[in-house]
Amino acid sequence: MAQRAIWLVSHEPGTPHGGTVRFSRRYPTVEKRAKTFNGSSYVPLPEDDPFCKALLFELRLLDDDKDFVESRDGCSRISKASVYGLPIGGKELWPVLALQKNGLIYVSVPLVEQTLSAHPPLISISGISQAFDLLFGLIDFFDSGPRTEADLSTKVSQLPDLLLHICPFGTLLDSNFLLDNFSNLSIYQAPKQPAWKAGTYKGKPQVAVSITEKVKSMQYDKREVADMWQVYGTITCKCDLEGVMPNVTISLNLPTNGSPLQDILVHPCVTSLDSAVLTSSSVDIMDDSAFSGPYKFPFTPPLESFHLCYYTSQVPVPPILGFYQLKEEDSQLKITVHLKLHESVKNCFEYCEAHIPFYNRGPITHLEYKVSFGQVEVLREKSLLIWIIGQKFPKSLEINLSGTVNFNTMGHQKQPVDTICIGGTTYVKLYFRIPDYTLTGCYADQHSVQVFASGKPKITTCRELISSDYYIWNSKAPAPVAYRSLFL
Amino acid sequence: MGPRSADAWARVLAALRASPAAFVARAGAEALAAELLSELRSERLSEPTKVSLLAAILEFPTQLWPDPTAAEAAVSALLDTLALLPPRPAALRRPLLLAATSVLASCGALAPASAATSRLLCVLLRAAAGRAAGPEQRAVRATACECLRELESCHPGLLAGQLGLLRALQDTLGTQAHCLLFVLTLRDALGALARAGPGAPAGLHGLPDSPGAQWPGPWDWSLAGEDVRDPAAPVGREGGRPEPSAGPLDLTPPEARELRAAVSQLLDASYLLTPPAQAQMLQQLSQVLRTVRGQPPALLKPQLVRLLGTARVSLLHAVLASKDAFGEALFTAQDEALLLRRLVGAAQHPALPSPARLFCLHCLLHFPENWPLGPAGEEGTPVLLTPSLATGLLPSLLQDPPDLLARLHLLCLLCGEELGADGRRDCQGTEDQVLLYLQGLLASLRQGAAQPGAPRSSVTLCFRASYLATRCLASHPGALAQLTKGLAELYQARPCLAPHFVDLLEQAGEVLAEPLGKALQQVAVAGAGGAQALQWHLQILTKVAGGQPLGPTLGFLWAALGQGGDWAWEQALLGACRALLRGTDLSGAGPRNLANLLQELARGLDDPDSRDRGRLYYSLFTHLSGSKLGSALGPTRSTPMLGSSLVEENEGFASALTVQEAQAPLQLRRVPQQAKEPPVILGLTVEASEILYSLELRFRVLGPHYEPLEAVQVPCLRPGASPKLLLLPLEPRRPYPTLLDVSVLYATPGGLTCYAQLPSLPIAFADLFLPLPPPSPEVTHPPTFQELWASCLPGGAESCMWGPWQGQALETLVTKHWEPFVMSATPPTSYRVAIRLPPSSQLLLQLEAAGEDGVRVALRTDDWAILPLAGEYLRGLGATL
Repeated sequence: MAQRAIWLVSHEPGTPHGGTVRFSRRYPTVEKRAKTFNGSSYVPLPEDDPFCKALLFELRLLDDDKDFVESRDGCSRISKASVYGLPIGGKELWPVLALQKNGLIYVSVPLVEQTLSAHPPLISISGISQAFDLLFGLIDFFDSGPRTEADLSTKVSQLPDLLLHICPFGTLLDSNFLLDNFSNLSIYQAPKQPAWKAGTYKGKPQVAVSITEKVKSMQYDKREVADMWQVYGTITCKCDLEGVMPNVTISLNLPTNGSPLQDILVHPCVTSLDSAVLTSSSVDIMDDSAFSGPYKFPFTPPLESFHLCYYTSQVPVPPILGFYQLKEEDSQLKITVHLKLHESVKNCFEYCEAHIPFYNRGPITHLEYKVSFGQVEVLREKSLLIWIIGQKFPKSLEINLSGTVNFNTMGHQKQPVDTICIGGTTYVKLYFRIPDYTLTGCYADQHSVQVFASGKPKITTCRELISSDYYIWNSKAPAPVAYRSLFL
Repeated sequence: MGPRSADAWARVLAALRASPAAFVARAGAEALAAELLSELRSERLSEPTKVSLLAAILEFPTQLWPDPTAAEAAVSALLDTLALLPPRPAALRRPLLLAATSVLASCGALAPASAATSRLLCVLLRAAAGRAAGPEQRAVRATACECLRELESCHPGLLAGQLGLLRALQDTLGTQAHCLLFVLTLRDALGALARAGPGAPAGLHGLPDSPGAQWPGPWDWSLAGEDVRDPAAPVGREGGRPEPSAGPLDLTPPEARELRAAVSQLLDASYLLTPPAQAQMLQQLSQVLRTVRGQPPALLKPQLVRLLGTARVSLLHAVLASKDAFGEALFTAQDEALLLRRLVGAAQHPALPSPARLFCLHCLLHFPENWPLGPAGEEGTPVLLTPSLATGLLPSLLQDPPDLLARLHLLCLLCGEELGADGRRDCQGTEDQVLLYLQGLLASLRQGAAQPGAPRSSVTLCFRASYLATRCLASHPGALAQLTKGLAELYQARPCLAPHFVDLLEQAGEVLAEPLGKALQQVAVAGAGGAQALQWHLQILTKVAGGQPLGPTLGFLWAALGQGGDWAWEQALLGACRALLRGTDLSGAGPRNLANLLQELARGLDDPDSRDRGRLYYSLFTHLSGSKLGSALGPTRSTPMLGSSLVEENEGFASALTVQEAQAPLQLRRVPQQAKEPPVILGLTVEASEILYSLELRFRVLGPHYEPLEAVQVPCLRPGASPKLLLLPLEPRRPYPTLLDVSVLYATPGGLTCYAQLPSLPIAFADLFLPLPPPSPEVTHPPTFQELWASCLPGGAESCMWGPWQGQALETLVTKHWEPFVMSATPPTSYRVAIRLPPSSQLLLQLEAAGEDGVRVALRTDDWAILPLAGEYLRGLGATL
């Protein structure tokens, strides 16, 4: 259960090598074990340069994907769960777990404690999930704060020291790289105190709970295809409480007509879970007997801000119902968009926009439109219309846009090809945020937080609804189906 | 070279990191290593610089100290540096411990006889048991535990003797580092005991008497394995972990009780560990419980309920591992269903990052069921995973390619049987819907790939999805026909995807290759895409034309011939002809047309090389029967990226010309030979494990002290035949022992020539012994032993030693080793031995039994250089007594 090596590679498109190794760390003691365990199927770790080249090639991040290359493009070479095999010096280095995020590639090679002549299933490799934990931890570390080159360099320069504490011999001791200073490290843990909470807070007690719900939707306005929408939420907490192990219980409540929470996944600091919470799952067909809270989460908080839980929910209606029609007439497109806010939804947005992109057609040359509400912005080169709806829907809760668009098909080649939006297949995508509102109705208030520690803490709660992948497809053309009702 | 500055070191370390092998070769490992070690004590360098030097030592010890002896010295030097640190807090203490551990464990210096090993273990145990409370001390304590854990990982069982001490530390200090160290040591100790079987040296040392932690005495290596576990592990399961052939371990009731208490205590405290540490501990405790008979896995249950709810991949993985280990003993059918539903929920949870979801999906396909139906180790859907449960896991066009493929794979597995069979499970009635859905998805992917300028990633996605779906559609002719038709249309739209098609034809198996080959041939001979597509059509025809009717292909090739092209084009054309030659349809008018085409190629192509090849094909075709033609053109290995098919089809031929490196299928054994006069004869027998022909055994004596040996030829060796005896005449220039390097060149029955390196043979000092030459007839008075003895000095050397042979031992020794060399004797007390050592030395021994105490051996030689060899030889004899 250890890692043989860790790499951090930055992808730099357009440079001669396509990327550089920003950081690498090898674990010789683990390597020695790998040699024994893997036997004749052992493949030594490559040096940084050949590794970087092989990785970028495999991930298709080099510019030369002009030709078919079997080791990369073969139809039977399907990588599983971001685990790749890299051809190195005539042999294959496997398993290489590589995760990409914001131009960086996070890589780890876990030790496999058996021979590799045939790839064993990932589930039988004890180090694989640790590699996930390690890389997710690194991603959190690099994603925090400003993402400038200077910030990146500073963080890279901190990595050797961090790893010397958190993963000195390739066996991960903690996946939390986000530490104020090294004195908060688990390795400095005082006796009888959680390893994930090495220090103690001193100051005014306060607890902040925030609920962020995101809503996805696919709307088709077709008889034979059912529309789909889904809500999922994240509860984030920050508890500044004195004492070694303060106990906190947060209960989430639903109003009487709220939608039950399902698929609840909690932070490891949660000490116990009600079986109703554990078993409520989105695969069940909803009925009135479903458990609808309160959802209690007893825990001992870590020092830093953390995600207490994630959930999904099935709400009866999407917040905004829309339809979109696009027709091609005499080398121009006629478009009609209709949006309706559901009356139960709080009509108070921070922002609400409908993006209407046109793919594989070239830049917009001419546009005529009529809107019942809001304004339209045209990004001609990007072939994109943005309908800015603003903070509120009108009293009728319904709004329309119609118009005609012309394109310069000659400029078509310069734009990237989209392989989904071909012909009439296209969509309107909605972006909105409603503060102090959740679609499920889920809320936390002053009474939801119980703290078993000295002093009465100040409790702040907030909630919000944000759109995520909210598509309304052209009802006059085929659309990719997210078929959830296939087997029902 | 003067001392380096901090900047200079930063540059050196950067260069080392960029390419360790090259840098060490350039700078010299020894010099660099020595410099690193000495700089650690330098007062010029700052602490951060020294930490960076230690980081380099930590990471590249095997490059710096390739030899265990040097590594051991380096560990001692690091420990000396540690001892010299002032008592105040120092940033160097932790990295020093880490570096010393890394060097010791990775350079092969960790061994019972190693002084540095015992020293480091002592330092680490003392540090781990330290009681001081400051943050620095806490850190050093944790680091020492980590170092011990790493040594234990590299050498399981190493700390088995310290179990009591470690338990006490875990009890009193209870930090994560102590817990993890104790759990690992416990697991390894039990594993070692289980492997040792009932005759194990002792039970669980010290576990029951935890309060009285005894300080480590002399190190007990009796439970320490050779190195990390023997990799002879069952397939699909990691490490040879206690799956002992001897069965689970039986502990005495008090021991078992104590173990249970220790495990419960650890599990209760597991909440205090970080999630990755919890996962490790849970896995190792599962292994502990599995090793010992009668330990109920139910101990794990309270923790599992807590962990089931978490979103951490590692914790979920640990839960699955314990499920795999204990099955129904830990998870009832209801628990299993709950776990599966949690896994399904995680695999589709939009709040989790995509790689975590994909890993959960992978776990679903390898779900450790209580009563699995399918073969172990293969992907399959668990019985409990019904289609309705998997509704949220369907693929959709908008997902990222890895998600889409993984979900498509699941769908195919889920419905593969149902689609073929008569609707088992609850899939009945939805069959058409599933098919329609799948077909719609594949059609959309093809549409994307058919876009002019579509990126290769979307093309690859389309072909991978088609490959996956083929398996599921195999029993559905209608759907398969539609897939074939769709793919043919895709080819028509973008012939440049030919390499992908060739790849798909090879991978997808007969069920798709047959109809798709036919459809592609039709598109190719119709000449879609105009002249630019010609090269792609030729590539497709090279792959598929052999199995299809000859006529249309020939028509196309004739038409193509008219267009003319460069060398590559000509080669492609010839490649397609070759496919036809190897094809099956050689009836009717086809053969004549093909012959005409080949003749035209032989005459009409521009390049002389291409014309030659055309002529060769023509001759082969007109002179050989179908079956011979097939074998003459060799086995075809389609490698679409190969520039020339010449290379491709000559591969078999070329390998027959090249000498292949092989594992030696023969064995050499020494046979004692006693020569009477020079040369010394080395006797060897050769045995083969398979038939070998024309063997040439080549011998090379290492070092300058022997004349070169001639190679020995053996016409044939068969397994089972009596071993072949070889007599090698050795001609030493100096009578020194050496090594004989042996290699062999031979031919296999398959016609390949192979080369193999055999293990080296040692030539010992005693192998060179010859008796003194018999007196020549002219010499009337041969020299007596006394004369020989006297003649050795003053040019030679003499020595005297004591041999531990008592009683009859001397007589036995002489009979066994010196019989031919005895000149005079008074058995059993006195012997005079004269040995000739070619080319021109002699060794004389006078052995006198001195009562019961042993034997006085006086030796003289006329060659002082062999005196140490003789001494070593005699001491060796003493040791074998």
